[in-house]
Amino acid sequence: MVALVIALALFFDFTNGFHDTANAMATPIATGAIKPKTAVALAAVLNLVGAFLSTEVAKTVSGGIIKEGSDGIQITPEIIFAGLMGAILWNMITWLKGLPSSSSHALFGGLIGAAIAGIGIHSVNFESLMQKVILPAIFAPIIAGGVAYLCTKLAYALTSRHDAETGSKLTQKRGGFRTGQIFTSSLVALAHGTNDAQKTMGIITLVLIAAGTQQPGSGPQFWVIATCALAIALGTYSGGWRIIRTMGSGLTDVKPAQGFAAESSTASAILASSHLGFALSTTQVASGSVIGSGMGRRGTTVRWGTAGKIALGWLFTLPAAGIVGALTALLVKTGVGGVVIAAVAGTAAVTYMFLHSKKSHVGHHNAVEVEEAGAAVRFRKKKALAVSRANDKPKGDL
Amino acid sequence: MKWLELVQVAGATLVAAVTVVVLYALGVRLTAIAGDVSERKPAWVRPLAYVCFGLCGLAVLFGLYLIIPYFSK
Repeated sequence: MVALVIALALFFDFTNGFHDTANAMATPIATGAIKPKTAVALAAVLNLVGAFLSTEVAKTVSGGIIKEGSDGIQITPEIIFAGLMGAILWNMITWLKGLPSSSSHALFGGLIGAAIAGIGIHSVNFESLMQKVILPAIFAPIIAGGVAYLCTKLAYALTSRHDAETGSKLTQKRGGFRTGQIFTSSLVALAHGTNDAQKTMGIITLVLIAAGTQQPGSGPQFWVIATCALAIALGTYSGGWRIIRTMGSGLTDVKPAQGFAAESSTASAILASSHLGFALSTTQVASGSVIGSGMGRRGTTVRWGTAGKIALGWLFTLPAAGIVGALTALLVKTGVGGVVIAAVAGTAAVTYMFLHSKKSHVGHHNAVEVEEAGAAVRFRKKKALAVSRANDKPKGDL
Repeated sequence: MKWLELVQVAGATLVAAVTVVVLYALGVRLTAIAGDVSERKPAWVRPLAYVCFGLCGLAVLFGLYLIIPYFSK
């Protein structure tokens, strides 16, 4: 049972990886700052590095939401198994729909559902749930969106250039932001590694403690850290192209300066939150930033229809993963046969969704419309040419 | 309720993101001025642009230094 749970946890880590590649790499791919394949490779490496950097989050994961420990209810590997099942299935469904939903919420939802069905409603600490999951979910997009909005405004204000005498617009030369995006998006990938790989480490450590093979209260062991880092890096590398498409061009058309502002805000928010103890979801922060940066540039429209669909997905994440988790927990309770049925059904569902995804293939070649990026580049060159011509003109003409 | 922590996170996010974006945007702007062909411009424009990029990089590194427990312990 323990081995099965660890395998499932690693698979969840993998889905977490490809689900969240978009958070870091959707905007640089959309603006043409990095080539799609290079982008996912970079994200994978940085996720790997990030996972080793800090294990602070792993120590506190899931702590408090389900009452555990000596005075509470003992959480069993079976409950974790059921919770992971719910989380993985919901991750797969949202991936198929191209919705950027929070992997952490899926995990929490699954665990809560499994705990309610397997132990009882009293096992869930609702105050802690409110504080750790519900409120951050409301504030994450607001904080990130607000900061991204402000940063986009600032970036455009600082780089807008007008001729001192005529007041006509000079060339803006904002191409430098494209280079900057490589660094900011790398930072987001790193932040994701320090944040999300930890959740799986926490889960596996929880299982090991529950099974009695590890001292309660100790941190994750090295092989746990290494395998989790590897799983999330592999997942990231395989790339969630469907979600990249939604984030990169579905919400708003992203220009380099916007992308830079959005990514700076995302990275700051994730890193600040995970180290000041008010955990925000990576996905929600990133989506909020993209929308905020879309509102910050004049002449950009935010596609609120898509935004609404994403928000709806967030609302459903917790209960949907919870229901799957609860059903699995009920199955598992019936004994070994139940575990086998649950495992087989889960594998079948994942395989079916994977095969179904093949029908409408979204890969690195068509994740973000290439014509758009091409047009942007040509546009920039033409403008630069016009201005260099204007600059060459003798002074008397002005 | 951890309102104080929420405000802290929002504040830290704002300060960090604005610092990075302002420094980088200034760098971009100065590079653009330095790249103009015929305008009269002081010689320090391009070096100043690099200083801005450098400060921006330092700000990021300082942020990483703060959050990686290995260094700050």
